[in-house]
Amino acid sequence: MKKILNSLTMLAIAGAVSLNVQASPEEDRAAFKKYYQQRFPDVPTEDYANGAYAIDPIGRENWEAIEEFPPYEPYIDNGQAMWETPFANGKGYQDCFTDGPAIAHKYPHWDKKQGLVMTLPLAINQCREANGEKPLKYKKGPINDILSYIAFESRGQVTNVVIPDDDPRALEAYEQGKKFYFTRRGQLNFSCASCHVQNTGLKVRTEILSPSVGHTTHWPVYRSKWGTVGTLHRRFSGCNNNIRAKALQAQGEQYRNLEYFLTYQSNGLALNGPGARK
Amino acid sequence: MNKSNKSLAAMAGMLTLLAGQLLTTPASAAEGASVIEEGKAVAFGRSKGNCLACHMIEGGESPGNIGPPLIAMKARYPDKAKLRAQIWDATIINPDSAMVPFGRNRVLSEAEIDVLVEYIWSL
Amino acid sequence: MRINKLCSMLALVVFLGGGWGGAIAADPVATDPKMADPKAVEAQRAIDEAENARKKAASVDSEWTGVGKLIKKAQLAMKDGDYDQAIKNAKAASEQGMLGYEQGASQKELRIPSYFKY
Repeated sequence: MKKILNSLTMLAIAGAVSLNVQASPEEDRAAFKKYYQQRFPDVPTEDYANGAYAIDPIGRENWEAIEEFPPYEPYIDNGQAMWETPFANGKGYQDCFTDGPAIAHKYPHWDKKQGLVMTLPLAINQCREANGEKPLKYKKGPINDILSYIAFESRGQVTNVVIPDDDPRALEAYEQGKKFYFTRRGQLNFSCASCHVQNTGLKVRTEILSPSVGHTTHWPVYRSKWGTVGTLHRRFSGCNNNIRAKALQAQGEQYRNLEYFLTYQSNGLALNGPGARK
Repeated sequence: MNKSNKSLAAMAGMLTLLAGQLLTTPASAAEGASVIEEGKAVAFGRSKGNCLACHMIEGGESPGNIGPPLIAMKARYPDKAKLRAQIWDATIINPDSAMVPFGRNRVLSEAEIDVLVEYIWSL
Repeated sequence: MRINKLCSMLALVVFLGGGWGGAIAADPVATDPKMADPKAVEAQRAIDEAENARKKAASVDSEWTGVGKLIKKAQLAMKDGDYDQAIKNAKAASEQGMLGYEQGASQKELRIPSYFKY
């Protein structure tokens, strides 16, 4: 009897301990992959980079037609001009991003020195400000031009977000993003997971809900609804507004941490921005 | 309660019921129809119930399919109160429910939920 | 001598009066003629309460879009002198503010939903 009690106690303690320990990023990524593979058994892994069009055959047809004359092309051209035009002080983006312009796959990453998740738009503005230029707005306007150019040049690069183990704050930022993803918010009480995991493949009115794997590969995006190219954080804001949650700050800590978590789940997928969407 | 009290109580109950019937019967037919119409407006209103976002409803266009189609509701919810509770806060029964808690989060007022329930239950 | 005394008394009165006037000027509620109406005071209090609820929800990143909108509506109603409407809107704003706060506060710990299996 005593032996049984002891074993049960040990099991209980083990259970309690495992409940408090969070799954690792790799375990998260594997869980996402498993879930979506079960939901969409016929979709090859690399196709997830096409978002909803990986699972929406009619939408895909329309999208492929649009891609014949991509609406984001003028933005790429404008972005190239921005990249190649020196700042007032004579320097340029190439001086900040020496490997550029094919650098989109290096973001987001953990910046140990600044102690934050560094995203490409944030890095662009830090480059501008370091060279006496005014920062760009993060949702609309010319940030989308330069992001379009960089995204286009970066096509084919592979998503590879790393959580460095020499700085516990990096994992903490990832876990903040993860918590955001699974937290219900807004008057309508949805979490990101409600739509993009639980009900992915199903429709809200006529719109098919896309899976989260592949969410980050194709930004910035020309969205027909916007009539222009917009950023990932603009889309975060829009999604939050749709569920009646007040949007947080574009390129603020919460959305950058969310981007860190989200992009990790797309590790292994090739970048294919800029994208075109409804 | 002794026997005579019990029968008194029963009579009182019956009289109240009869009185209630008398008071509501004449207008109830027309009232009933207008309540259903009001409920339908709440159901279909995009800034109200917006039920079509997730549910197929007869007569509604381009419904979503996140939730089950709203048909045979009396069979599925013989107890109307349970239907009301589901609309009010579906997470009570299923903490992971994707359904908007229309009552708890004040998306709809109690009066709107009342008429909505009448409409949905009639489907 | 008498004049001096008068002058100093006058100075005292002016000083006290100025202090009193200063106190009144510092309190916008008391000097605004509209705020003589107790309903207006109630409406302002309701709006202030709603703003506090909004801040509380925002502190846990859980502010709902309705709260700010309802506060604005309340402020406009207040401007128009419709204090009942202002109070109604402000109370609704407070309610949504607190519900948002509860939503955020109740999810302090990460909870993986049952449909997400490892």
